[in-house]
This record gives sequence, C-alpha cells and structure tokens, in this order.
Amino acid sequence: MVVSVKQLEKRYGPHRALGGVSLDVEPATLFGLLGQNGAGKTTLIKILLGLVVPTAGEAALLGQPVGTFSARREVGYLPEDHRLPEYHTSTSLLDLYGALQGIPRRQRRRRAAELLDLLGLAGREKLRIRGYSKGMKQRLGLAQALLHSPRVLFLDEPTDGVDPVGRKEIRDLLLEERRRGVTVFINSHLLGEVEQLCDRVAILRKGELMVTGTVADLTRQKASWLVAFDRGVPVSFRFPGATIETVEGGSRLRVSLAPIEGPGAEGAEAIDTFLAAASAAGLRLRHLERERATLEDLYLAIASGGETP
Amino acid sequence: MKDPDHFSREDAAAAERVTVRPWVPRTFAAILRDTWREFLDAKVLYLLLLAIALLFGAALTGRIEPQPGGRQYLDIAARAMAADLDGIDIATQSMGDVAGRLNGSVYAISAAEPLAADLPAGHWKATLTRTFVPLVGAPESGEEITARFGRIADGQLWTITEILETGTDWARKIGSQTWEMTVAPGRDLRLLWPHRFTLFGDSVELAGTKGAPLGLEVLILQKLLATGLGGTILLLVSVAVTAAFVPNMVRKGTLELLLVRPIPRWQLLVFKYVGALLLVAGLLGILVLAVWLITGILADVWSPGVLLALPSLLVFFALLLSVSVLTGIITRSVISAMLVTVAYWAILFIAGQMNNVAVESRIREANVGKMRPTSIAEAIRGRQPRREDGLQPGRRPFYQTTIGRITEGVYAVLPHTEDLDNLVDRQLMRDFAVAGPFRALMESASFSWEKGLGLTFLHTFAYLAIACTIFSRRDP
Repeated sequence: MVVSVKQLEKRYGPHRALGGVSLDVEPATLFGLLGQNGAGKTTLIKILLGLVVPTAGEAALLGQPVGTFSARREVGYLPEDHRLPEYHTSTSLLDLYGALQGIPRRQRRRRAAELLDLLGLAGREKLRIRGYSKGMKQRLGLAQALLHSPRVLFLDEPTDGVDPVGRKEIRDLLLEERRRGVTVFINSHLLGEVEQLCDRVAILRKGELMVTGTVADLTRQKASWLVAFDRGVPVSFRFPGATIETVEGGSRLRVSLAPIEGPGAEGAEAIDTFLAAASAAGLRLRHLERERATLEDLYLAIASGGETP
Repeated sequence: MKDPDHFSREDAAAAERVTVRPWVPRTFAAILRDTWREFLDAKVLYLLLLAIALLFGAALTGRIEPQPGGRQYLDIAARAMAADLDGIDIATQSMGDVAGRLNGSVYAISAAEPLAADLPAGHWKATLTRTFVPLVGAPESGEEITARFGRIADGQLWTITEILETGTDWARKIGSQTWEMTVAPGRDLRLLWPHRFTLFGDSVELAGTKGAPLGLEVLILQKLLATGLGGTILLLVSVAVTAAFVPNMVRKGTLELLLVRPIPRWQLLVFKYVGALLLVAGLLGILVLAVWLITGILADVWSPGVLLALPSLLVFFALLLSVSVLTGIITRSVISAMLVTVAYWAILFIAGQMNNVAVESRIREANVGKMRPTSIAEAIRGRQPRREDGLQPGRRPFYQTTIGRITEGVYAVLPHTEDLDNLVDRQLMRDFAVAGPFRALMESASFSWEKGLGLTFLHTFAYLAIACTIFSRRDP
C-alpha cells in the first residue's frame, strides 16, 4: 500500500477535524479526495505529509511512518492557495526547493529545465513570480511538486486558475505520472474533472469518511432509461413494474424498471422486454440511453447530510 | 490497477528518479541564496550603498589641516620635564596629576624657531633653559636631556636630534643651564596638534577657527560615522528589511512548501537567521571599512581601532535579529517583528545609558577631592583642571538611589550591548589620546568584553532556541 491509514483522528482543541478515518491506497492510483470546505481533506493530507501530528491513529506512507525524512523524500506537495515567494524566478525557486530536497546542483538544474518545458513555462526564466498569472503560478507549483520525481503526489486543487487547454495538459501529465507508477492524491471541487481523471475517490464529511470506492463503482448505472419513440405513447400502453414519466420537455421518457439489483445485465433484460412490448404496441424506437449516477449526484447527496446511497 | 507488470513499471520509474541525498552544506547554501535574493528584492541594498558612497564623497571634500602651534608643545615638553612623569598616562591624566612629582628643577623654552613651516612634521631650533638649586640638584648632561625631553609617560611629543650646551660655566655653578637644540616631531605629536577641519572646500568649519586636536577630530568622525549615527541608521534599515524574512517564510501557503522537505525545521530557521546575519555583516563591513578609509585618507591616521566597531555592531545586530525572529515566529507579522525589535533596542539603549550614569556616579564618588581628568591637549589649550566636587549634603549619588539600584539590577540581567559600544569608544580614545571625564567613564573596569559578549550571546541563543522550539512543534 502507498498509503495506509487506520482510525486516524485529529483534534484542534474541542474541534474535531478528523474522526477515525481509515483508508488504504494502492500504488499507481489517481485518488480523488472530495468533501466540502472544512471536511478534513487538507488535514488528512497534512498528516500524511508529516506536517501535522495526528491526535490518535496510525498513518503510513510507502510502508514507513509518516513524517520521516525518508518518507518525505518520496512525496511531492502542491498546497491549496500556495504562495510561492515572489522574489524568485521559476529557475531560482526550483533550485531552492531542489536543494532543500537534496538534489545535487547539476541534476536539479536539468530537472528544472525539463519540468519548465513540460509545463509550458520555458522562456520566462527571467520573470519574477510577482509578474506571474494565476495559471502560471499553478504550473510552477506543480513543477516544484514533481521536481524530485516523487512516488506520491498530493495536489490540492491542481488546475485552479488554469485555462481549459492547460487543464487538459495537466490531466495528461498526471495520467503520465500514474503510468510511471506514481500515486496521485487530488483534492478538488471540480467534480467533473475528478470523475474524468481519478480511478478512486473518497468523500469526507465533517471529518468522517463517508464513502470510498472506484469511480466506476460510485457512478454506477441506474435502473432507469431515457427513451424516445417516433410518436407519443398511447394512454393504453402499460408495462408491469415500469414507471414512465415525461422528461426534457416531453421529448424523452424516463423509464424506471424495478426491481434491479446492482450493475450488470439484469436491467438489460428488463429493458429488452419493455422495448419488445412497446414495439408490439406499434412504437418505433428513436433513442435509448441508460441513466448513470454522476459523482456530483453522489457528492450532493452526501453533502446534504444524506447517507451513502 | 491489478496490472501484472505494474511492479516492473514502478522499478523502471525508480531507476529514472533523480538521486536525492540530504546534505547540510547544500541546504545552508540554498537558504543563503534565498535570503540574498529576498534581501536584494527589498531594493534597500542599493540605497544603502548609495548612501555610503555619498557619505564617502562628502567626507572626501573635507580637509583637515594643521594650524600653527608648535611653540606651545615645546613649552609643554619643557615644563613637563620638571616632574617625574614615568607611569603617567598621557591620555587620561591631567597636568594637575603631575603636581607632587616635581623634581626641583624648572625647565623653559627661552627661544624657538621653526626650521621650516610651523607644522606637526616640522623641525625646530630651540633654546632650553634649566634652573635648579645647586646644592640639591646636579647639572644635567645633553644625553640626559635628550632621553627625557618630549617624553610624557609612554607618549612621545618630540625627539632631540642635536643638542649643544651653550651656557657659561659660572652660570652652571649657580644653577642655570642652557642648551641649543634641534628638535624633531615625536610619534604622538600629530594627534595632539590643533587641526582645522573644513567640509566642501572651506565653506563648513567643523572644529572652530583655532582647530581641535587631530585625535579628537578623528575620534568624533569615526564615532559619528561608524558606531554612532552611521551604524544606527544601517542597523535600523537592517532590522526593517530582515523583520520580513521570518513572517514571509512562515506565511500560510509558503511554509508548507518548505516544511515538506526532508530537513529538520530548525535548520530552516537557523540557516535563515545566519543568512540574514551574514548579509548584515557584509553591510557593516562595508560601512566600517569605508569609515576607516575616509578618516585614513582625510587625516592620514590609520589606527585600526575603528574596525572593532564591526564585531561590536554585529553582535548587537545578532541579538536584535534573534528578537525579530522570535517575534516573527510567534506573531507571523512583519510589523510586530519590526516594532518589538525596535522597542527592545530602545529598552537596551535606555538601560545602557542609565547604567552609564550609575557607573559614572560611582567613579565620581570615588574621586571626590581629586583632580578631574583633563587631557594634556586640553591643558595646552588653556583649560584648567578642576577638582571633583562632592555632592551637596543630603544628596545621594545616583547608584544609591532607588532608581539607580533598579537600573543596575535590571542592567545586570540584560544583554550588555552598551558595554560593547563603550569598549569600542575606549579603544578609540586610547588610540587618539583623547581624555576627559568621558574617557574616565569608558575606562571603567565594569565594562569588559567577556561580560558584554557573554551576556549578549546568552540572550541571543536563548531567543533563537525558543523560536526553534515553537517552530518545530507548531502545526502549520
């Protein structure tokens, strides 16, 4: 396991930032950490980085207790609302962080040039960070996290302030890192992006882990279908076990077929029978689409205080 | 994720990872460069260098010129021969102290003529007469006169290069001797010789029309530019610039980027501290060296005593910086760090000055009835030595009052940075043969390098240690 957390708890006085979180993350995973502000995402990450000492529980990174120097040498971190010292240029800043990380001069220079090129910051080496746009700062922040080729990356809002093309580039970069065996933790409020990018997600609420699983599992197919026929469904048409409602301004029908358990083929059989019945009633199929639960649906359900669906 | 060749990929990634080795000198060098960059960013360096250049330029328009005045130094050298001056400190002791050490003879210069100009480097032809009581004193030889003339304690005003006794035999028998001699300036004559000091051509007269002893002028100049005004301004600017270092470093969003590195937290803080200290050491070095060069070029006095101002000011700044770092760690605010540091400085200054008053009151009380110290140079210029007055009945010396006791009690536990300043002054006064009541204070045995440095280092170290402890334990 890259990350192994057991019953992790952190209190700030009476305030409980984390209340008994347990989590395991395998290598080469893009892991999305979701939750509202104050849910404990950043606290969890800071504990894993060894910046914050937990009140109780255990946390290990790459098989070592968190916070040890050897564990820290393997992690890259991009904090939320990071403020890179403005008196630096991109190269001097990477040189500083590289040296603190312990990389010899020649190697850190080569690596910095490589990363600046990769992140589209090449050619601006003389410019002080003071003159950077939000997106440029974000790219440079990513560069410093990647500088020492860490095996685990913790990125807090990595695409914040970056334009759409830049976001795509960053997503590709992270996918490439995963391909190389790097585990990437992403804190983000951009649920669409997380859904698109991450293999697994965990959702925290008020310091507790509400749900964790693969994105594919959490956004599983629902037992409902969007259907359109060439004409309106006659009032006389009935299908046992199906609820039919008109959606999207009357152009589509939502057909919910019950009971269906879990993802898989059972639902498909039910829709086949339904469509056969419709066809027998003289209706010609124009559109068929299975409805899915998005990450957003799940997130909103949890955020609004509902239990895990 | 259950990819069968997953591990080989990870191994490949590990193989191409850059080598990572923690190494303290590398960390230190990196933080030093970072500090240098941050310092340059404040743009103050250029202003300071410009200010020092302006100062240098202004000072170099100055001229220090000797005034005519050789005759009075010949007179003083002659009169001084009437007493046994061995062990008398030319700088601290007064003509009054000479009383009681008379040897029964009276010496005088009856005629004198400069061989060239009447300047501190000029040679003189002079006639020396000695009057003594024949039965008590014996006639003196030219060699004896040569050995004694112009020497006051370990100071050397004049040296005799040629001497010839010209008096008649009968005059010698009734107690009168006369010599014709050629005299060259001694080692210490220049420092006591009155010099005019003008700035910007002749437009600003700094030492009055009669001039002042060269040593005194150099002392005031060095003190003003190095330990006094110049040093104070430089340190104030340094406090202002360096006060931002720690709060900027521990700012949310910046701190995390440093703390995730595989180095102990105290290194971040201590290396930043040392970095700032080295920068200010460089600035102070430039200032002190500039002052030494300015006075050297202007007055051709190359005494290195002023270079002591560098360690003295630097140790003081090390203390201020540790206070600034501690405040910065606790409050994370630049303004607080700056204000607390300046307030601390003010407290030290006031306590130091009050302690000086207490020390002075002790010296005074011990010297009631004795002659007040006056320099020989002052005596020449006509200032009469005075006796130290006792206090009026019912009045206690300062060190015995409640305030005085509190002052000494508080000062005892404070860093003795005022002592360091006094010790530099002491060295300068010794070098330039300057004396007076102030010199007596500076010479007080209660000021020592051991105590001054020891207490200052102790406080500096304590503040830093507290800052490191807080920094290491606090969650970001």
